[in-house]
Amino acid sequence: MALRELKVCLLGDTGVGKSSIVWRFVEDSFDPNINPTIGASFMTKTVQYQNELHKFLIWDTAGQERFRALAPMYYRGSTAAIIAYDITKEETFSTLKNWVKELRQHGPPNIVVAIAGNKCDLNDVREVLEKDAKDYADSINAVFVETSAKNAININELFLEISKRIPSANTSATSGKGFKLRRHSSETEQRCC
Amino acid sequence: MSALGMEGSEEAQTPSGEALSLPWDRFSSWLHCICVVGFDLELGQTVEAMYPSHAKLTDKEKTSICYLSFPDSNSGCLGDTQFCFRFRQSTGRKSSLHCVLDQVDRDSPVYLKKDPSCFYGYVYFRQVRDKTLKRGYFQKSLVLISKLPYINFFHTVVKQIAPEYFERNDPCLEAACSDIDRWPAPVPGKTLHLPIMGLVVKVRIPTKHDKPGTTQLVDMTQQTDAHISVALPTIHEVDLFRCFSPVFFHIQLLWELVLLGEPLVVMAPSPSQSSETVLALVGCISPLKYCSDFRPYFTIHDSEFKEYTTRTQAPPSVIFGVTNPFFAKTLQHWPHIIRIGDVKLAGDVPKQVKVKKLKTLKTLDSKPGVYSSYKPYLNKDEEIIKQLQKGIQQKRPTEAQNAILRRHFLELTQSFIIPLERYVASLMPLLKSISAWKSPPQPKPFSQEEFMKTLEKTGPQLTSRLKGDWIGLYRHFLRSPNFDGWFRSRRKEMMQKLEALQLEALCNEDLLIWVQKHTEVESVDLVLKLKNKLAFAQREHLPVGVDTLQKLQGQVDTIIQELPEDLREILLKTNSS
Repeated sequence: MALRELKVCLLGDTGVGKSSIVWRFVEDSFDPNINPTIGASFMTKTVQYQNELHKFLIWDTAGQERFRALAPMYYRGSTAAIIAYDITKEETFSTLKNWVKELRQHGPPNIVVAIAGNKCDLNDVREVLEKDAKDYADSINAVFVETSAKNAININELFLEISKRIPSANTSATSGKGFKLRRHSSETEQRCC
Repeated sequence: MSALGMEGSEEAQTPSGEALSLPWDRFSSWLHCICVVGFDLELGQTVEAMYPSHAKLTDKEKTSICYLSFPDSNSGCLGDTQFCFRFRQSTGRKSSLHCVLDQVDRDSPVYLKKDPSCFYGYVYFRQVRDKTLKRGYFQKSLVLISKLPYINFFHTVVKQIAPEYFERNDPCLEAACSDIDRWPAPVPGKTLHLPIMGLVVKVRIPTKHDKPGTTQLVDMTQQTDAHISVALPTIHEVDLFRCFSPVFFHIQLLWELVLLGEPLVVMAPSPSQSSETVLALVGCISPLKYCSDFRPYFTIHDSEFKEYTTRTQAPPSVIFGVTNPFFAKTLQHWPHIIRIGDVKLAGDVPKQVKVKKLKTLKTLDSKPGVYSSYKPYLNKDEEIIKQLQKGIQQKRPTEAQNAILRRHFLELTQSFIIPLERYVASLMPLLKSISAWKSPPQPKPFSQEEFMKTLEKTGPQLTSRLKGDWIGLYRHFLRSPNFDGWFRSRRKEMMQKLEALQLEALCNEDLLIWVQKHTEVESVDLVLKLKNKLAFAQREHLPVGVDTLQKLQGQVDTIIQELPEDLREILLKTNSS
């Protein structure tokens, strides 16, 4: 089975739970007193998707402002970016929009963007409506899920949605072939029949 | 989607499971510190920043780092330059080896062990025009200071960190240090995935049990995007072909000079050329360890400058690389000098050139080449020269040329060293001479004449087609620091083996019967001796099985139990101390 390394970066405001999302995904655990990340922390997890192994190389970036300028090192070469916000804090959703802009301008051209509205267990103090976020995500053709790292809601689904959007290595190879066949269609058809 | 669970222990990720290590412990198993060296109009070169801030460097060490991190002013390196230097650590510095690291170091090949007396500096220097600065130039170096000779690896790491740092400043170094502080220790034999600033560097740390010349890393993943991950085929080897290409007609001569520990200086136009040539020279006798001092980049400010360039005594056994033209004069009396010119265009076939007489080396603009009056003991290997020349004409990839040259040196060194290994193995006392009740016998002394006699039948002619005065080469080698270093480590291994065999012999005796036949004083004496032996075995990592040690410890405990109570208590106390 083919093993593919997929670089994924997590972006978003400080305290929205980026590291908690990664810990839940990789370790299936949750620590409410997690320290702020310095620079970025790195973790990996390999999952099977159809007939491929996806090894996610996850760069969980620091949300603090002083590390903001480092972000390009982490989204450079990334297959996907997960941008997280906190559903109980309106301003974290505005930060998210800025990240989307930055990725559009400087990120890799075909990067898969996934939006995670984290802390959905705190519905009582919600500030960002699910529908608003969903509409926004649709408008930029991004994956969208509301997650709770604390209660393990939608974390695996988030990565599954990313896997779905990644073109399979085999398909791209076959489609290349298909293109070739079409160019010499008459000849090939005769041979086939 | 089905999760395959956690990755193996190769990953640098489980901080939860590794709570035992303190902050910076992991960092210090790789690096001593990271320094930023800049240029101050009034002070000259200074260490502008150091990470971690608690890292200790003496003033003398800082001065060395400052001078060695910048190219000599004349070499005018514009743009980015990478090179490596090595400098002596100040005396009196405590060697604060982490206990884990002893373990790490023990299984390393001799030439990859931590340097006990020196630091390596891996430099990334940038010099660009900048009108906004008073000096008109931006000049800065980022330097990784380490005791580990992982040249190729640190070259890759500093190349990843430095350009980002020059663009994005301090948070960058914080991020880099935080990444490195999560790396697993450099354990020999392990394949490590080391994340650094958005990139995963995959390396395998060699062990002393590896067969020399075998591939070190096999990467299983398909795609290779340089932004995602990079697999290094080697952590320490430099590209021998590229480094030797300006002088490749003389590789035979150079190999002999390095093997014999002859004083050798490389004069190059840039620190990167000087350092990689020196490192290539030191590496060409691998798996033999080059035991004398070497300085990939040496300047007139070096604290050893006077010691090494004095004319009042013969030049020392040392290889160093210099760029300052001043050395052409200072080192005129040196017996062997390599001059390297500016890099030639790729695909250029060098013409056959003679070794130049030293007399002709007078001025700075002397032509590139090897200046020496040394006459090699062995004949030149015309075949390897032809093979490499053919490669150049056919535009064979430099990796392939490097592999050919590396194999050539390896076979040559092995042909040379195998007769010595065989002879030294014969110095080991017979197994039957080992007794549980006597201290282990000593290995027989090395006799040059006895060794020379073995060459007739089992000399290098068995494995090498090269003709020449092998006997003369051995005689010379036996007087060299490299022989001394090699023999010392072989002898140490033999002594350890003998100690281990004696422990095993002891272990197979029924000590209780012995105790019953002897006096109390003798029993106590035996217990103390055994305890010492056990402690020694652990401290020196003797090649003895854990079960042997446990069994012996068990015997000691049983004997103690047989003794009167007052003695028992005293002996148990000495146990705990």
